[in-house]
Amino acid sequence: MTVEYVDAGEAFNHNQLSSLPHSAPDVTRGVNYERILNARNESNNWITYYGDYDGKRYSLLDQINADNVKNLKVAWIHQASSTGLIASTSTYAFEACPIVVDGVMFVTGWDGWLWALDAVTGEQLWRYKHAVPFDVTLCCANVNRGCAVANGKVYMVTQNAQLLAIDATNGQKVWQKTIGDVRAGESASIAPLVVKDTIITGSAGGEYGVRGHIDCWDLETGEQRWRTYTVPKPGEPGSETWPADGEAWQRGGANHWVTGTFDPELNLYYAGTGNPAPDFDGEVREGDNLYTDSVVAVDVDTGEIKWHYQFTPHDLWDYDSTMEMTLFERDGKKLLAHFDKNGYMFVLDRTNGELQHVSPFVDRIDWGTITRDGKFLPRKYPDKEGEPCHFFPGPAGAKEWTHASYNPEHDLFYVPVADVGATATRRRREFKEGMPYWGAAVEVDVDNMAGSVSAFDSHGEEKWRYRLNVPMAASTLATAGNVVFAGTPTGEFLALHAETGEKLWSFQCGSGHHSSPSTFTVDGKQYVSVPVGWGGWLEGIVPGMSGQGHGAALITFAL
Amino acid sequence: MTTAQERAELLAEIGGQNKATMGAVLGTGSIAKATERADGTMEATIRIPEDAMAWEPAVLIMPHSGVIELTIINDDKNTHACLLPSNGDKKFIGLLNHSKGRATLELDGPGYYWYGSPAGNDEGRGLTAAIVVTGEVPPEAKLDRPAQPRP
Repeated sequence: MTVEYVDAGEAFNHNQLSSLPHSAPDVTRGVNYERILNARNESNNWITYYGDYDGKRYSLLDQINADNVKNLKVAWIHQASSTGLIASTSTYAFEACPIVVDGVMFVTGWDGWLWALDAVTGEQLWRYKHAVPFDVTLCCANVNRGCAVANGKVYMVTQNAQLLAIDATNGQKVWQKTIGDVRAGESASIAPLVVKDTIITGSAGGEYGVRGHIDCWDLETGEQRWRTYTVPKPGEPGSETWPADGEAWQRGGANHWVTGTFDPELNLYYAGTGNPAPDFDGEVREGDNLYTDSVVAVDVDTGEIKWHYQFTPHDLWDYDSTMEMTLFERDGKKLLAHFDKNGYMFVLDRTNGELQHVSPFVDRIDWGTITRDGKFLPRKYPDKEGEPCHFFPGPAGAKEWTHASYNPEHDLFYVPVADVGATATRRRREFKEGMPYWGAAVEVDVDNMAGSVSAFDSHGEEKWRYRLNVPMAASTLATAGNVVFAGTPTGEFLALHAETGEKLWSFQCGSGHHSSPSTFTVDGKQYVSVPVGWGGWLEGIVPGMSGQGHGAALITFAL
Repeated sequence: MTTAQERAELLAEIGGQNKATMGAVLGTGSIAKATERADGTMEATIRIPEDAMAWEPAVLIMPHSGVIELTIINDDKNTHACLLPSNGDKKFIGLLNHSKGRATLELDGPGYYWYGSPAGNDEGRGLTAAIVVTGEVPPEAKLDRPAQPRP
């Protein structure tokens, strides 16, 4: 006898089984280009990735200051975790920078998560979860560095190279664009940047031999405005820096995987680019390999590269230059500062890329030397097949992607410094699409490591140093309250005196920091928020801490 | 070297409930492909057989990215559930003993996804299965370079 099935009905969104109201105030409706141009002057909010187009990560807020920061306490905690089998199950991390608009926080997690939170109570207002394939190619874990907001929407990329526009009031998807080829090894982790009526993204995948690119999309429709490849084709400017008769340019890397900065007067977007591929086997890509390990100044209207400066020509150490290009002024000059993986601080004239000066910012550099006037003198690198080569800094660099901040009142950059070496042994391999393409066996030192938050003036002179016995792996935040906030791999969230580096306060967050904190006020009360969740490319950054264990929380502090 | 026949025999040894181990080892079950309607929407049925604590098929192939409509059947004499990947949020359905329901999913491709029954350790006993989306990304998302060798 046939028995009728019980009707189980239609599957529904899992978030219906929660306390979420599924709605948020329409706070991003009024966020537009004009407001983002003046983002620092509305320091009550944090409306764009770096807090402002200039990348300073400096807030004018001073309610929490050097005198009272010792009284800082936890206001609320947002907890999240992994459910089911996800990509990079063992290495996901919480790497984002929270965006805050008029009391609503928007923050991305790993694996396609986006949360809207009440910035005062921490209550989850809505959430979006993109389905990310388990087998997506991720060199450096399942991570995302943040979102952008404008015109009633939230914009984010996903690990499987999708760009999403989400309705900021309810978390519903408005449009979606595929921005990369996952079969080629492309992925995306960058926080998008809204510029005028467009949104700018980049790609990841330099460890898989892809061809890097920067993309510009229409803010409302997602239609592509331009794409600029960061490795030229034969015949294009820069192509002379690649083998003329080879295929190396097709797999050249130079990915733009960290948000750039923007000068509205010059109309230039300053994009950092990543390592060449294969990372450590330079013999298959003779030449300087433009525009790898460079800053490219891109006309935001056309995508044209107006000038470039290459920090590590013909890289053999995996020294990406994707990290921030901080825009500042000195003696009436428009300048750009950059702390590179190769251990040197560069200051450029940002109108034309002309080098001003170079100076080291980490104790141990032995791969070679760059003179103050920019002469590049390599000394140690993986050269002969099978012959180990040890060098400082290791492939995660003297500073990884995590950001320095800059206090213009003191002319001080606060730099998260990593001091750890590595051994690379050249092992040539044939290129196959979607497969790792490093050209070496690589082992980063598990001991003999150090780190610091170090303060440098814009001339490169070190003013103070807060020492750690492990490399730093999180961004700093500077405020007009004369405080620098920084999270450590061992879990402490520190408040340091901006002028002396003295530790004023700390809180053990229970997991290592690998993110970018931000600050804001609601109803006149200042808060500081930091995503906490250890993970990422730990075997490269600080393998001696890779067994530390995971975490996944966002902690917000107030007086 | 293990032959195909030996492989089948070894899989049979570890298959099923409370045999070699307590549960069914993930990824050792059956495989099937979704069908496609004229409008591109895909259809398939997934099922929990009696006392199997496993999904059939264990691997469901979608020929391309997009929308799939699933019929979900619990033929077991126990209560389970199903938590499935979909863009926007995971989709949940409770599955009482001898019940049948539906789910509509939107998935990108290429790539594959795990889903399971989020109850007790259903997932570990064997109620974890894969949806494999085949195909390529749209042409406009491909890199401007000649075709490259693949493994």
